[in-house]
Amino acid sequence: MVLGKLNKMAQSRVVVIHGRGVHISNGQIDETKIIHMFQRGFQHLKNGISPSDCIRSLFHSDEHIGLKVNTLGGPKISTNPTISLLLAHWLTKGGLKPGNLLIWDRSNAELRQAGYRLTDNPGDIQIFGTDKPGAGYENALTVNQSIGSRFSRIQSRSISASISLAILKDHGLAGITAGMKNYFGAIHNPNKYHDFNCNPFIADLFETPPILQKHKLTILDGLNIQFHRGPSFHAKWNQKEEIFIFSTDPVAADATGWRLIEKLRASAGLPTLKEEKREPAYLFTAERKGLGRANLKYIEVIEDEI
Amino acid sequence: MDRRHFIKTTGGLSLTAGSGLLNTCSRLYAFDTSANLSRKEARYYKKHPDREIECLLCPRFCKLGDRERGYCGVRENIDGTYYTFVYGKACAVHLDPIEKKPFFHFLPQSRTLSLATAGCNVNCKFCQNWEISQVRPEQVEHQDFPPHQVVLTAQKYDSPIIAYTYTEPIVFFEYMIDTSIEAQKAGLRNVVVTGGHINPEPLQDLLPAVDAIKIDLKAFSELFYTEYVRGKLQPVLDAIKIIAQSSVWLEIVYLVIPSLNDSPEEIRQMSRWLKQTAGKDVPLHFSRFYPMYLLKNLPPTPTSTLERCHRIAREEGLHYVYIGNIPGHKAENTYCPQCQKLLIQRTGYSIGEKNLEEGRCKYCGQPIPGIWK
Repeated sequence: MVLGKLNKMAQSRVVVIHGRGVHISNGQIDETKIIHMFQRGFQHLKNGISPSDCIRSLFHSDEHIGLKVNTLGGPKISTNPTISLLLAHWLTKGGLKPGNLLIWDRSNAELRQAGYRLTDNPGDIQIFGTDKPGAGYENALTVNQSIGSRFSRIQSRSISASISLAILKDHGLAGITAGMKNYFGAIHNPNKYHDFNCNPFIADLFETPPILQKHKLTILDGLNIQFHRGPSFHAKWNQKEEIFIFSTDPVAADATGWRLIEKLRASAGLPTLKEEKREPAYLFTAERKGLGRANLKYIEVIEDEI
Repeated sequence: MDRRHFIKTTGGLSLTAGSGLLNTCSRLYAFDTSANLSRKEARYYKKHPDREIECLLCPRFCKLGDRERGYCGVRENIDGTYYTFVYGKACAVHLDPIEKKPFFHFLPQSRTLSLATAGCNVNCKFCQNWEISQVRPEQVEHQDFPPHQVVLTAQKYDSPIIAYTYTEPIVFFEYMIDTSIEAQKAGLRNVVVTGGHINPEPLQDLLPAVDAIKIDLKAFSELFYTEYVRGKLQPVLDAIKIIAQSSVWLEIVYLVIPSLNDSPEEIRQMSRWLKQTAGKDVPLHFSRFYPMYLLKNLPPTPTSTLERCHRIAREEGLHYVYIGNIPGHKAENTYCPQCQKLLIQRTGYSIGEKNLEEGRCKYCGQPIPGIWK
């Protein structure tokens, strides 16, 4: 059954956009270049249609969209706040309403520490965590295979579509943390899902309706990649890059991110994740479940440079 | 979790002790709705280079980078130092009868001030208190309840015992041991209700501070522990052995789950091992399972299954075998292993007839092991 489903799956497309001169002085980034990278990424996602048409093909105009960021690592290794805001603003140019866009993560404190300025002003782009009064977690458990969790009401109720805007990192247990594992921040008990290289937990979680039915797009923030000893920040193994990875296939996006991490590891003379017995097995589980493509043979990678 | 839900879920724990007690608790404490976590340095961890740490408290040995939290959800590495967030932060406080823990050979009918914090170092699919055990402290209402206040409260409510229970006390080890030491100084007793998933060193350190430990032995197979507990059996067996060799009173509870851990062979092996390790006098409670949490697809344990477990354990030579969660069953009672006469009659958490004198059978003088005064 599952194999049949896989064979019928079309080849997945992943867009890798490289920038040049994105990092400017004092840790700032060139916002214009970032916007160009978004434009090019969206353009390639859907066979060269305009970025606005691409946005419209993914989201209807009154969609409530969650931009799930990853801020657990603190200011040095979280989804960049400027990137998140630029993306949200840019999406509004494609016809989405600012008040319907929510940049969010597990807690207000973690968002703040990562440099986000919280706001829930009606009509503005929203930024807050699950612990905001009125949000919180569902009382009922969502159960799927190895998973039994309470979902953030942001994921289960507030939004109708989701973008996983994750930072790309090495992970001591899962191998990597990218777009799929980012949704660990959407449940109340992620600490229970780190055994066995987080496998099959990451894939089982992604398969639950609050994620599977809403996830539309993965964007991996590759401006600052932790390629070893993650998910915590270690300057020694952190690489400033100028890359964004886009895909509507969550597995293929992560699989491409994994290859990038392996490349950085090889350049630094580090063993592969497989050699360290932490190959991201969750990707193959996800592929077997039909959630997307992990095998590079079936992933069309389009690379472009700004 | 909102306040109403909190009271419903955790308050429900003490309903059987009488609604008056629940009201007492509600009046006593104003629950703190802010995160308000403690930041006390944890015991039992090793610092590694690059601000990484390794937790040595339980057999998981969590290795954590900066800003990462352990499996238990209550301990976090902050810049290379490991902290507990639940020191003095109780999320459930009630007055229970000691029989509810259950302890049947430890000060019967005593009132027990029982407390818990959020968190657990396993994830049993049949957890009865998952709404407080399988959450982080930020996700549940809690109150400031430092050790000295716990002791004062126990004294105020004539509770000679403090119980660390409901969730997994191992994860609030520092709070438990400090409170126990203060309680000992005040002449109170301490009892621990635990899954026993703890490393030998912290356990050895805890033993002098407590009077009794009840271990929830969840099965007698590693496979069960892997699949349904997300833990390991062997460290629990090791913990039982260490406690049995100490002067701390030990009782064992075995929750019998239909088709998962109730085979006669498993029960026989477990009973045999228990007798060899802890002796024939260790009380063993076979408890009835009810569908709960992530195991809702199974029926409650049939009485006949519990009776079969009881019979096997008795055949293996254990003297004090009980059946729990079936109020009124005769196997709730304690019988003299010598003359077979009724020593303590129980119905649920209530005690009826009592025929013990100075820890001996009133009829034949047989010494009955336990802490009776």
